[in-house]
Amino acid sequence: MIKYKAILTLFLSLLSVNAAFSAEPAPAVISGLTAVDMPYDVGNAVMLRWAINPSDTPDTVYVVHASSQQAGAWVEADRFSASAKTGDDIELPFWAWDGSAMEHAVKVELNNIFGESAAGSVFRFKVSALEKGLLKAESAPVPATPVGNWFRLDRLNNIVLLIVIVIVFFWAVSHAKRKGLFIRRIAGLDAIDEAIGRATEMGKPIYYVPGIGTMSSISTIASAFILGEVSKKVAQYDSQIKVPHYDPIVMTVCKEIVKQSYMEAGRPDSYREDINFFVSQDQFSYAASVDGMISREKPAACFFMGYFMAESLLLAEVGATSGAIQIAGTDIESQLPFFFTACDYTLIGEELYAAGAYLSKEPMLLSALKVQDFGKLVVMVSVFFGIILVAAGAALHWDSFVNVILNLFKAY
Amino acid sequence: MELFANLWAWFSGLFVITPAWMTLGAWVAVGLTIFIFSFLYKDNPFFKIAEHLYLGAGMGWWFQVYLYSIFIPKVWDPLMAHQWGVIIPAVLGISLVTQFIPRISWMSRYGFTFMMGYGAGLAVPAGLSTDFIAQIGGTIEPLSRMASMTPFAIFNSLLVAFGVICVLFYFFFSVEHKGAVKKVSSIGIYFLMIYFGAAFGNTVMARFSLLYGRFDELYTYSGSNYFYATQVILISMVLYFVVHALANKGKKGTSEEAA
Repeated sequence: MIKYKAILTLFLSLLSVNAAFSAEPAPAVISGLTAVDMPYDVGNAVMLRWAINPSDTPDTVYVVHASSQQAGAWVEADRFSASAKTGDDIELPFWAWDGSAMEHAVKVELNNIFGESAAGSVFRFKVSALEKGLLKAESAPVPATPVGNWFRLDRLNNIVLLIVIVIVFFWAVSHAKRKGLFIRRIAGLDAIDEAIGRATEMGKPIYYVPGIGTMSSISTIASAFILGEVSKKVAQYDSQIKVPHYDPIVMTVCKEIVKQSYMEAGRPDSYREDINFFVSQDQFSYAASVDGMISREKPAACFFMGYFMAESLLLAEVGATSGAIQIAGTDIESQLPFFFTACDYTLIGEELYAAGAYLSKEPMLLSALKVQDFGKLVVMVSVFFGIILVAAGAALHWDSFVNVILNLFKAY
Repeated sequence: MELFANLWAWFSGLFVITPAWMTLGAWVAVGLTIFIFSFLYKDNPFFKIAEHLYLGAGMGWWFQVYLYSIFIPKVWDPLMAHQWGVIIPAVLGISLVTQFIPRISWMSRYGFTFMMGYGAGLAVPAGLSTDFIAQIGGTIEPLSRMASMTPFAIFNSLLVAFGVICVLFYFFFSVEHKGAVKKVSSIGIYFLMIYFGAAFGNTVMARFSLLYGRFDELYTYSGSNYFYATQVILISMVLYFVVHALANKGKKGTSEEAA
């Protein structure tokens, strides 16, 4: 009896061994996979994290799958080698991210896969590890729901800087009201009086061209300030000013500004509604038309202040040919050389922003100028010390220290 | 109804591109190009024609762009789909038009105020990030790879940083430019001039390529298949200027030059 039992046991054992050898080995399990909403975004991405497997080889490839369904419908979302996409590769600053090189961290942008309405929907994810094309390991599916975030902690450096600038601004306003602020001489702005005086003597109009910017352009806003001061002087001298416009909204704002200036100068009767007029919202149509007007009317002075692109030389050259004294100012660096060549005076970038304060001497505007100078000081000091610290850190291979410095000046 | 459909079919058929239309298009292109170029000589009626045509065409073009790219997809279609939320921005937008009616023009202030606030809110953080923090980061970032940089690359990065600091000194308004500040800001001006020279050359090159495009077209349309459009228009204009100059010889100030 015992003999039969032993034979049966041996037979069953052989069967099980045979079965074990004939079946393919089951893939290993990738454990510790987590899927969470990508922090500090609008709600269209999910972050997957799992630990790096020490047994991964250079041939190992990870494939991330995503699905918007309860079961199946997997879509390949990403594919990368085992040495890529670690926690260090996520582009978030150190105060908003605690990833390490010992884990994989993958940002899956769902709007690129499933369309734009990703926020609030539940998605499932799984990760597979392939080696030479064969499945080596696979994770269990994990769900995640992307949501939009109200606060972007990754931009903390921006808001801190903004708060500092606001504080400095209020300090500067208070200082300007109490003691006044010094502004250095700006030749181009001193020439404005000369230009208006010339126009008055010659009995010819002044053309003030505010460029092709919209009201959200800083140079256009600066130009509107200058227009206010120029038109005040024009009203005082009882000269003529013409302001051709590209943007109807800028035109409406400038109308109010010019009207206000005439009233402040005590000459509301001299104000005419057609001082500001709309020409065209097509760049070169505008340039052609203003060129035509300048060449026919031959104004005594032309001001080109604001946002200009390719039409800068077209306008300034015609003004120069017509014999007008020309003062230009823009913050578009590529157009400044053309104004240099064709105009008598040119305000370079920041000088245009300073012009409103320079001409009006108002404490509020002067303090804005002081804040701009403070900003420049911050940039200079940051560049100076930043270079020393980063260079020293890089030379000594203090990678974390260098990253901290670079993160502090990270823009988005 | 059928008559209307037939008329429409006939009218649409007029605009099917045929060789005759191509030739006419060539003459218009050549004519307008030469009319605009004629301004290099002096202001004249041909330039005025091209100028006003350009202005009108530009207005017409932008009107249809606003109609089909903004009004219909962003206002009309959502309203037809009962998405009433678009009424708020639409009313704000329409309030701008009240400028034309003095009695209710105060309403436009709401639209303008919203746009100014929106523009400032959008510009401040973006400007702070791109014009300020990004400039600092961009200047110091190259040196983070110092261990692998060549001596020339290190010198280049330091030169850029030095240039940034000097140029910023030039734009200091609340400090009088004398002594050391004047020297540093003068170096900043040299950096600026080098940049402006490079930008000038670069832009002039781009403009020349546009000019070549126009010349290429004038050359193409000077062929017999376009009935010598370039030569005919050019010679006609030269003849006009000669005749006009002879007719007005001795007269002071022509009608074209009148203010």
